[in-house]
Amino acid sequence: MEIKAAKALLPAGLGDELPPRAGFEAAVIERLLAVFAGYGYERVKPPLVEFEDSLLSGPGAALTAQTFRLMDPQSHRMMGVRPDMTGQVARIAATRLAAAPRPLRLSYAGEVLHVHGTQLRPERQFVQAGFELIGGYSLEGDAEVITVVAEALQLVGVKTLSLDLALPTFVPAVCRGLGLDAEDAEIARDLLDRKDATALLRFGEPAGSVLKTILRAAGPADTARARLRELDLEGEAAQLRNDLGDLLVHLESRAGHLTLTVDPGEFRGFEYQTGTSFTIFSRGVRGELGRGGRYRLENGEPAVGVTIYLDTLLRAVPEAASGESVFLPFGAPPEAGHELRADGWRTVAGLSATDDDGAEAERLNCTHVLRDGKPRELS
Amino acid sequence: MSAGSEKIIMAVPKGRVLGEILEVLRAAGIVPEPAFEDSQSRQLRFTTSVAAIDLIRVRSFDVATFVAFGAAQMGVAGNDVLMEFDYAEIYAPLDLGIGVCHLAVAEPAEMVAGDDPARWSHVRIATKYPNISRRHFAARGVQAECIKLNGAMELAPSLGLCRRIVDLVQTGATLKANGLVEVEKIADVTSRLVVNRAALKTLPREVGGWVQRFQEIVNGAAA
Repeated sequence: MEIKAAKALLPAGLGDELPPRAGFEAAVIERLLAVFAGYGYERVKPPLVEFEDSLLSGPGAALTAQTFRLMDPQSHRMMGVRPDMTGQVARIAATRLAAAPRPLRLSYAGEVLHVHGTQLRPERQFVQAGFELIGGYSLEGDAEVITVVAEALQLVGVKTLSLDLALPTFVPAVCRGLGLDAEDAEIARDLLDRKDATALLRFGEPAGSVLKTILRAAGPADTARARLRELDLEGEAAQLRNDLGDLLVHLESRAGHLTLTVDPGEFRGFEYQTGTSFTIFSRGVRGELGRGGRYRLENGEPAVGVTIYLDTLLRAVPEAASGESVFLPFGAPPEAGHELRADGWRTVAGLSATDDDGAEAERLNCTHVLRDGKPRELS
Repeated sequence: MSAGSEKIIMAVPKGRVLGEILEVLRAAGIVPEPAFEDSQSRQLRFTTSVAAIDLIRVRSFDVATFVAFGAAQMGVAGNDVLMEFDYAEIYAPLDLGIGVCHLAVAEPAEMVAGDDPARWSHVRIATKYPNISRRHFAARGVQAECIKLNGAMELAPSLGLCRRIVDLVQTGATLKANGLVEVEKIADVTSRLVVNRAALKTLPREVGGWVQRFQEIVNGAAA
């Protein structure tokens, strides 16, 4: 027994997925990818491991500390295990598919590995699924990404979707407009990110009241838009605010079932984003279902994309009932099995003769047994 | 989703600040059921005069944990607890201005005369706050070895567990009674209204509405 237990122990944050959950996860991934594909997003499949300097440049840089590294005995170069797939897709778009027509639509799904789990997400390995729209920023592009991901999530069974829109470059732009130095700007950004109204009091006027208005703007989309409109902005900050306003109008008409909130101060996790970004939540579910937004490839090309975290998503969708299956007693004609499978049944074949086929079917977790050429439900 | 899970759970800490917190809740129109005040009751979750809000009473450190995991959507926690855990999932949008005290380093009175904090390179600290202590000393270039205790830190120096402690100081009476003197202040502490990040995003009107309600009460009290 002791040897068995020692073998079962896995490193922290890694786990075996068993039936029916493993199958359920695979089915959810397939359904997400089918929706992405339906909108013209074609699948790419980057490798699990690649050279560190390409993996961790550009959008991947924010995850340097989360990356497992190993030495490639062939090239003697350092490699990293991907902590995120967005950077890999961005690399593909910027190199091998540089000449492909824009806008380029790519989708992906795969396992990623992190060095550390957090208390809220102890898993160190989990699946990401997402898609990227590469080659230009536009209101239409942002809206396409958001509506497609919302459709995919609703299709796999997520109820009460919430979308929280953020503008990670907005606060830095506002701070530049207010003439704050780099250090104060960083403090302001962190305090707004934490919603720490108390500590914001350290800023004098006019910065103090502007920052407070940004803090108070966090909330339902309509109040956020009204409060942001109160601000007297110019240049980049005004542009960001107006873009957000346009996007909200667009989404309200095209995706009215989404709960839309705005958080102009949100920054954590959006380090590489360059414009309107968003986080997806579902009511009563711990953590984020996914996040996305605008960013730039390493060559400066604009892109917008989204990533879904399957570990959180599976908490938000109803557990699939383990489906029906028919037990084929030993000696049942093969054609009977073919016919049932063609009708969509799952069959479980008996490999030796038994006295009681019904009991054997039950022991193997079947819901039906083949009797007189027909699947009969077990009583 | 059942109707019950749409309730907002609010976690409040047992102990010294509870009385002040209940006053703020009362001002917001939230009055817990009588069992809340009954010391004989074994109940842990309480309904209130507001149908949509239930209260849970837990240890102060656990308030942060319940709210971070979304088991409670709102809570009241001191910023000592928030600094110790530094959960990204907790927003602290409002300082309630109650439970005022501070976090400080203290050592035995007889040690103070011959001790210059500027010359420390390594200290051993008994504390409930190992993360805050380590960060505080690291920022000063001092390596801190922390011994985690859950209470009665003031006993540690006199019994030889270690010479210095980091603890909350309200009036200083407990320190004095145990022959200790405050040598360094780390941070001011007050109670904050905290909310779970996902709850604020998915129930913006409900949770946001309560944050605003408490904001008005705090503004009213300050005016």
